[in-house]
Amino acid sequence: MAARFLWASRVASHLRISVAQRGFASVVLKDLKYAESHEWVKIDGNKATFGITDHAQDHLGDVVYVELPDLGRSVSQGESFGAVESVKATSDINSPVSGKVVEVNEVLGETPGLVNTSPYEEGWIIKVELSDAGEVEKLMDSDKYSKFCEEEDAKH
Amino acid sequence: MDDVQEMRSPGTLHGASPSYTLGKRRTDHNLLIPEAELKGLGAELHYTQRGGDITFHGPHQAILYPIISLRSIGIGARNYVETLERSMIEFASVYGVKARAGHKGETGVWVGDRKIGAIGVRISSGITSHGLAFNIDPDLKYFEHIVPCGIADKEVTSLRRETDDMLLPSEEVIHEQLVSCLAKAFSYDDVVWKEDPSFILDNQEEYKD
Repeated sequence: MAARFLWASRVASHLRISVAQRGFASVVLKDLKYAESHEWVKIDGNKATFGITDHAQDHLGDVVYVELPDLGRSVSQGESFGAVESVKATSDINSPVSGKVVEVNEVLGETPGLVNTSPYEEGWIIKVELSDAGEVEKLMDSDKYSKFCEEEDAKH
Repeated sequence: MDDVQEMRSPGTLHGASPSYTLGKRRTDHNLLIPEAELKGLGAELHYTQRGGDITFHGPHQAILYPIISLRSIGIGARNYVETLERSMIEFASVYGVKARAGHKGETGVWVGDRKIGAIGVRISSGITSHGLAFNIDPDLKYFEHIVPCGIADKEVTSLRRETDDMLLPSEEVIHEQLVSCLAKAFSYDDVVWKEDPSFILDNQEEYKD
């Protein structure tokens, strides 16, 4: 737990967001966009990289398997393109934007745990060529997403 | 779509036909006999989209598939699976059986080093499917033909085995008790019973080669 807190603090201070001292606040990065199904997107021109958020990986548990789509396959905003497995549960991952898959993170085949330890960096899942840049508008920014997570967690 | 809560039960009373099922990872190396031999045993092999490894389903198991909107109750996969485990543990304790959750990487419910309950779940857009199987008194010999849940060298057990000579109520009653434990664990106040005999494997996705 201490190690996670250190990691969270380091990332958080790099991006100037605070991390709660008590309990665990999931890390949300400022320059990314977020979907309600807890995927993050990084836009770079007409290319987008995505993965699942820290909140998502924490709620999943240790990831033991990542099902990746084939290269060249199209993905649509809000629709499933793959899955992660943890604690005997397979959870669909939904695409935050529409486009064509141009790269997948093969490393996850050997080390699926990267999704837990480095959800925003080494644990990225796929890269797509955007088909509709306007779709990004429908996603949440970091503040909205942080609030969204808080509200969801408060439900139980 | 909010607050979808339903429990489906393809097993026990009407006798699920004996079947071996695989999860999304298709770990068929954990099936120790050729598929052709399965038919000789009167069993089938099914590929599903759930998490988890290979398992066996057959008569005298309580097989329960809660269909729950995790988003509406604000929990994730891990919490959900832990709640399923807790339900089975609490249920076992009703019969004086001391069960525990699995160690890391060994999801399921154990009595000592013997597995009594298995879990394999799919979550799609926050809605759960598949679920759990609790061994009431299945023919444990079926488990000899697989590496159950991919965990070698661990036995499989049942409520019958763990309660020796205790007189157990009918499977119907046992089934209801387990469902009540689940409802309680998820803080549902009410259990509405519906008969849905048409549901067996219909709602499991079948993906075969």
